[in-house]
Amino acid sequence: MTVNTQINWKHDTSRTAEIPLTLRNVYINYHTRKGNVQAVRGIDLDLYSGESLALIGESGSGKTTLGLGVVRLLADTASVEPGEIIYRRNGEEVDVLGLKSGPLREFRWRDCAMVFQSALNAFNPVLKIWDQVLDTAKAHNWNDRKAVRARFLDLLRFVQLDPDRVIDSYPHELSGGMRQRTLLAISLLLDPQILILDEPTTALDILTQRTIIDLLRKLKEEQHFTMIFISHDLAIAAELADRVATMYAGQIVELGPVRNIFYKPRHPYTLGLIRAVPTVTGGFEALSSIPGSPPDLINLPTGCKFHPRCPYATERCEKEEPGLVKVGDKHEAACWHTDAVEADIAANGLRLRKK
Amino acid sequence: MAPIIELQNVSRFFGKNKEEVTAVDDISLAIEHGEIVCLVGESGCGKSTTGRMVVDLLKPSQGKLLYRGQDVRQMSRSDYTAYRRAVQIIHQDPYASLNPTQTVRQMITVPLLRHKKATSNADAERRAAELLEIVDLTPVSDFLNKYPHQLSGGQRQRVSVARALTVEPKFIVADEAVSMVDVSIRVSLLNMLSRLKSEFDVTFLFITHDLALAKYFSWEGGRITVMYLGRIVEEGPTSRVIADPRHPYTQALLAAVPEADPELAHKKRHMELRSAEIPSLLALPNGCTFHPRCPYFVPGECDVNVPRLERIPEGGSVACPVRKSETIELLAA
Repeated sequence: MTVNTQINWKHDTSRTAEIPLTLRNVYINYHTRKGNVQAVRGIDLDLYSGESLALIGESGSGKTTLGLGVVRLLADTASVEPGEIIYRRNGEEVDVLGLKSGPLREFRWRDCAMVFQSALNAFNPVLKIWDQVLDTAKAHNWNDRKAVRARFLDLLRFVQLDPDRVIDSYPHELSGGMRQRTLLAISLLLDPQILILDEPTTALDILTQRTIIDLLRKLKEEQHFTMIFISHDLAIAAELADRVATMYAGQIVELGPVRNIFYKPRHPYTLGLIRAVPTVTGGFEALSSIPGSPPDLINLPTGCKFHPRCPYATERCEKEEPGLVKVGDKHEAACWHTDAVEADIAANGLRLRKK
Repeated sequence: MAPIIELQNVSRFFGKNKEEVTAVDDISLAIEHGEIVCLVGESGCGKSTTGRMVVDLLKPSQGKLLYRGQDVRQMSRSDYTAYRRAVQIIHQDPYASLNPTQTVRQMITVPLLRHKKATSNADAERRAAELLEIVDLTPVSDFLNKYPHQLSGGQRQRVSVARALTVEPKFIVADEAVSMVDVSIRVSLLNMLSRLKSEFDVTFLFITHDLALAKYFSWEGGRITVMYLGRIVEEGPTSRVIADPRHPYTQALLAAVPEADPELAHKKRHMELRSAEIPSLLALPNGCTFHPRCPYFVPGECDVNVPRLERIPEGGSVACPVRKSETIELLAA
């Protein structure tokens, strides 16, 4: 099934920056009648060129809100305050939160594209795929229909779709996996510097998931795209990420290289997730779940937000909120008891053995 | 003793004439008392349709459903009522399967009284509290007066289970019962279901698209049945199907599953299929329905003959005469 296609990635080296995206102390609140939903609380993050970063966490951890915040597509009820999002290209810095209409539109698809979670809802159901692609191109002042079409056909081939069939179809005529791949092709249309993918494989069948994962891996390994994956699925991180950030209650509670996160986690929540997820290949592993449920984002617990569910919690955790501290090479965790986590893994193994 | 549930050559069609879709195509499945059977497959393979036929929410277009050896269609009224009570279903979506205008108390006590499992309101109340404890919704008093919108997905699913337990079922069809729940909570739901098996002697038909969950849930003494486009392509003891899959479709699935372990993810061998697209149910391929995608396709055989399930010495049966004796390595050395 491997199709080799030649695409001219307009990789313009002058455009790439070593750290194309920096988030500084970003808070995002949703203002509701019941109160302020603190969806994202104080994120500091540098995204390196060519890396793929996975944001993992459960529903309500703030990962999608953070992604939407970067491309400035938050709902009207949400506000980013305070916080700074800096995007770099051509050696200049752009303050994303300060962008207005024209430049913002420019930033959104040309610099930073987002592939949304629900591939069906991301399309306009009454327009053919080609018309939507053309709209996207026109919105960015690319009016050469022939060139747009040629590039899009190449991209469809790249995502292993039959280009002639897809380009003149309506969204409902495509299967879930085909839509997801079409969306990916559209996101690549303007050769963005950063690609944000929100749950790229959720709700797809296993064999379709595999096609998407292999495609994304190809983008990562062959084209060195800078990508952010947002997922609740640890497997996506294990398959595709160079670095993983675990999010809980709006914060990054652990950040590190993928192998550290999976084999030497230091935050109790990351360890809890790993011990809750079964693998298919290999023998039987006992699993344990994390007690309790995710916190109410309007009335957050005091101190460490994970303490009501944490097996290692002490009095200190109820009072003081830990910040990210270095626990290894390029590896940080926000926990008062990283030693206890380490000792637990040393004593009981990373994954629990059979009872 | 007769199996608790048995499907004999069951098919189910939807629609008419040219638009007719075969959702389930001539499957036979016997589930013994106390077993855990996992039905796995991708969307559209007929696994939910099968589950719904087992509880008689859908009638088979052809074939028979037997409960404890008795044809459900030939039963006396009282036997049929007993069957419907004994066989319950837990649906996938806990946001859609609970009545939003009823409190947890109503959802549990009403069926208790209706089916005479409680003698008075006070008795129903007591029984409801017991049931909520079984499904770990404690302290019970916190939950009795709640409406579904006040509960999380995991808690709702526990209410669904408690509601199913009101009639003391012997057989539960769990249709993707944990797939909409957050990962950190999934395992405790699964463990709770496992406990029902040991403590209340419940037999399970566990329907899922997630092979890892099927493996976890049925590892001890359970079976996995794999469906593809309405047919059973492989079945056998869980440990055998997971470690030594024989049908090319099962192999492709296991090879494709993303693993939550970076090393495993990189060591896994992926199988190249001849086509990435699932054929339409409106135009099913001849012979083996997997042949247009199968890497081991044998022209003249696979596209002509519909393969029968044949027993293999390692346990279970495989519907692939070409590959049923071939073992593959899922991990690269």
